Amino acid sequence: MSQTAVIHEQQAVPQPKQHGKPGGFLAQANIFTGLIGGVVTAGVTYFIGDKLVPWGTQNADFSQVGLNALVFCTFVAWVIGFMVGIGAFAGPIRWALGHDLTHDDAEYMAGKGQGRMKYWKYTTDHKVVGIQYLVMALVLFGFGGFFAMLIRTELGVTWREVFDPNFYNSLIGTHGIVMIIAMIIVVAGPLGNFIMPLMIGARDMAFPRLNALSFWLLFAAVPPLVLNLVLGGMRDGWTAYQPLGTQAPIGMIGYQVCIITFAFSTGIAGVNLITTIVTMRARGMTWARTPIFIIGTLAAAIMGLIWFPMFQYAQLLAASDKVIGTSFYIPQNGGSVWLYENLFWLLGHPEVYVIVVPATAGILELMVVFLRKPLFSYKMAVAGFAGVVGISAVVWVHHMYMTGFAPQAGYPFMLSTELISIPFGFLVLVMLGTMWRGKAWNRLPMMIVYAVIFDKIIGGITGVYLSDVPVDQYMHGSMFVVAHFHYMLMGAGLFGAMAVIVYWFPKMTGRMFDERIGKIGFWTAFLAFQVTFLSMFVAGLQGMPRRVLQFDNAFEISNWISTIGAYFIGIGMLIFLYAVITSWRNGKVAPSNPWGSKTLEWQTQTPVPLENFPVLPVVTSDPYGYGVPDPYLKVEEQLDKDDNETVGAR
Amino acid sequence: MSIETPVDQPESPTNRPDSTHRMKEWFSRDYVRKIIAIFIVLTIIIIPIAWLVIHFLELSGGPASSIMEELETTIFVFTLVSAPLMAITAAVLVYSLFGWGSIKSEEPPMQENPAIRTNAVAVIGWTVATSLLAAFLVIWGLVELATITADSYGSTPSSQQPNATKPIDVNVTGQQWVWTFEYPDQQKIQSNVLVVPINTPIYFNVTSKDVIHSFWVVEMGVKIDANPGAVTNTGFTANKLGTFNIRCAELCGLHHAYMETNVQVVTQDQFDSWVREQGGKRTV
Repeated sequence: MSQTAVIHEQQAVPQPKQHGKPGGFLAQANIFTGLIGGVVTAGVTYFIGDKLVPWGTQNADFSQVGLNALVFCTFVAWVIGFMVGIGAFAGPIRWALGHDLTHDDAEYMAGKGQGRMKYWKYTTDHKVVGIQYLVMALVLFGFGGFFAMLIRTELGVTWREVFDPNFYNSLIGTHGIVMIIAMIIVVAGPLGNFIMPLMIGARDMAFPRLNALSFWLLFAAVPPLVLNLVLGGMRDGWTAYQPLGTQAPIGMIGYQVCIITFAFSTGIAGVNLITTIVTMRARGMTWARTPIFIIGTLAAAIMGLIWFPMFQYAQLLAASDKVIGTSFYIPQNGGSVWLYENLFWLLGHPEVYVIVVPATAGILELMVVFLRKPLFSYKMAVAGFAGVVGISAVVWVHHMYMTGFAPQAGYPFMLSTELISIPFGFLVLVMLGTMWRGKAWNRLPMMIVYAVIFDKIIGGITGVYLSDVPVDQYMHGSMFVVAHFHYMLMGAGLFGAMAVIVYWFPKMTGRMFDERIGKIGFWTAFLAFQVTFLSMFVAGLQGMPRRVLQFDNAFEISNWISTIGAYFIGIGMLIFLYAVITSWRNGKVAPSNPWGSKTLEWQTQTPVPLENFPVLPVVTSDPYGYGVPDPYLKVEEQLDKDDNETVGAR
Repeated sequence: MSIETPVDQPESPTNRPDSTHRMKEWFSRDYVRKIIAIFIVLTIIIIPIAWLVIHFLELSGGPASSIMEELETTIFVFTLVSAPLMAITAAVLVYSLFGWGSIKSEEPPMQENPAIRTNAVAVIGWTVATSLLAAFLVIWGLVELATITADSYGSTPSSQQPNATKPIDVNVTGQQWVWTFEYPDQQKIQSNVLVVPINTPIYFNVTSKDVIHSFWVVEMGVKIDANPGAVTNTGFTANKLGTFNIRCAELCGLHHAYMETNVQVVTQDQFDSWVREQGGKRTV
């Protein structure tokens, strides 16, 4: 049962005066004013820029630079104009003018009394931001999945080029980066924002306005990226290696502006998540009583915060090469192609863990609930995440074994890459130990968890091959790598995200997820996934390079199988999406705690009220107090028996 | 031997059976025995997958060099080492799905499972076991990398090789989207097909004229990036006659897919006559 928190006496603080209705300018601002602001600012910038630097009149060499600069400024203007239009700067400007936001303004900004309109606005409530992130992730998956279908169509039609090479290469690049962005946000966005504050018993995130800022920056970052397909494309793959990027059409600028903006969004979100988790846990929620999902989110946020700037710098320098003619990466003028690769992979590898870690932590959280057992060896799980965060900093060169930039680097980085399997091994033991002797409650999220573990087995063993430099000498840049990372990112990451989204769906939407249709969709996608990517392993082993448009006859059969499989993944995902949409619209109304879970987010009512909890909860034990005394276990081995009894968690 | 009754009463520590007895008791449990059985079966199933992997690797005609052979050995050994880990995970997964049973209900189940918080033996045993496996992989990998580096002359230019057979230098240049091979010691002849004599070490100086390419001699198990503004090195000794594939393994622009050629492994006599033939044409 909840206990009343001690209410400290409030100090009288001078409050800003209320000017007019709550919200002020923000009452008018929404996504549409944002779009108008962005488009108008971009248009004006383009017009003025074109007048100042008439690129069409310059010589052939300079014109490209001039055009690049113009497009770069236009995209940046779009981002700034959009943020102004949606009201992102209303708070700071009012503060600077001495009209700071009042309590009523802040409540208005949190979405009070706005109905559904709040989802289209610069709303600070973490629950609204969570839903916005979820929808955004679904839209991005829609784009990325559609691109994947086009890629597989090209690779299935082995007798002719369906798309011209420029479009095809842009497709693989756009598919890659859209999916990476979607995967990065799909757990840490919706669940890190919606569920995490509830789970630690907080009223909101630490910085609600930054929370809205991080989402809308992400929103503003996407159009330049997707527009690249009509602006000539970004035909360099998602890695956009230099100096190839300098040859690319202006679509490449869209990619660069997107990454630079997205890195701001991730950094802001990371700071917010870390601060919230470190400082705002409920009274009594010591680190040892913090749910493992929170630890996983924290780990991912730390990695994102530290490593995303590398990606941002990589793209800033690349954009400056393209826009103002510097030569960071152009060897003819003294640059280095290896500089880009290093900067890129300094994020590039930790980013994989930014994706996999929260999904894994979410799965651990689910296993506890559906197995009705405590998490096995909480400390080991924490040690596992800590180890991954630590070692993730020193593994990036395994993407560069074959670049030749330092042949001796193969030795230390092979060592670190193989060592990171030890903390991941800890997490495997936690999973096995949690499954040990448990009767599972057979619901869709738990079934997906089993599927994810299966994928991790395959992704793990193929990863062991790839960690080895000699073997990588064959595998690097082949379809084998593509199949391997799809097992980790899709098989473990995306399916894991589907499990946690189904699990927290009732809390987020107030409706039960339609498991009957969801099951059909998921298992179709899962089986088709195995067909697609197992066959892709074969193509890679036979020696098929990745990112090709046409290939030797030897690879035809495995590519046909992959293409058929991929279509079925698409069908399965559409069925799953149908289940999401129909359950969201008119699913069965969910009780507040449908899974009988002990974590805090299920203890408040559904739909969650504006400030989450009527009275802030006080935690007296960890949230894993499931289960009965083990008949096999000797009494003296039951550690901290008193602590196990769950009292305060509800 | 089986367990009789669940312990209701706290016992004093002195009643605790000794560890051998407890281990025997643990191994006598039904589920433990079944999981071990599944584990053994799965391990036996997983290991042959290595042969399947190697079979696919060899479909296009390899291995054609000692490097590729060592690579295949490594794949086999790595599968062998990771098989138990994969198998135990899969065994518990399978037993959790079908052995311990499941509950089908709409409502949260009332029945709860044993509250196993941790187990020192499992934690320490697992950590030690996985660390040993990882250590083995690391050591094997480091030794193998050193061997392969020596095989491919990756660290020593051919002029300094104390080898009996004099190595052949080949300058490889990638450009969008062709490979050019230049033989500096053979009157600088140039070719778009790599021709090499069998059982002779070949040493490559790889570079690029424009963007990053990756020079991949598939059946030799050799790959190195061709970077603009830098020369990278690799090499191999072919030990099988025939025609094998060279592909570009790094996206290098529009026609990356078509940037492929062949390596012809021929006898020394054939190579010499090919050089003469090319040398005659070079005057053009």
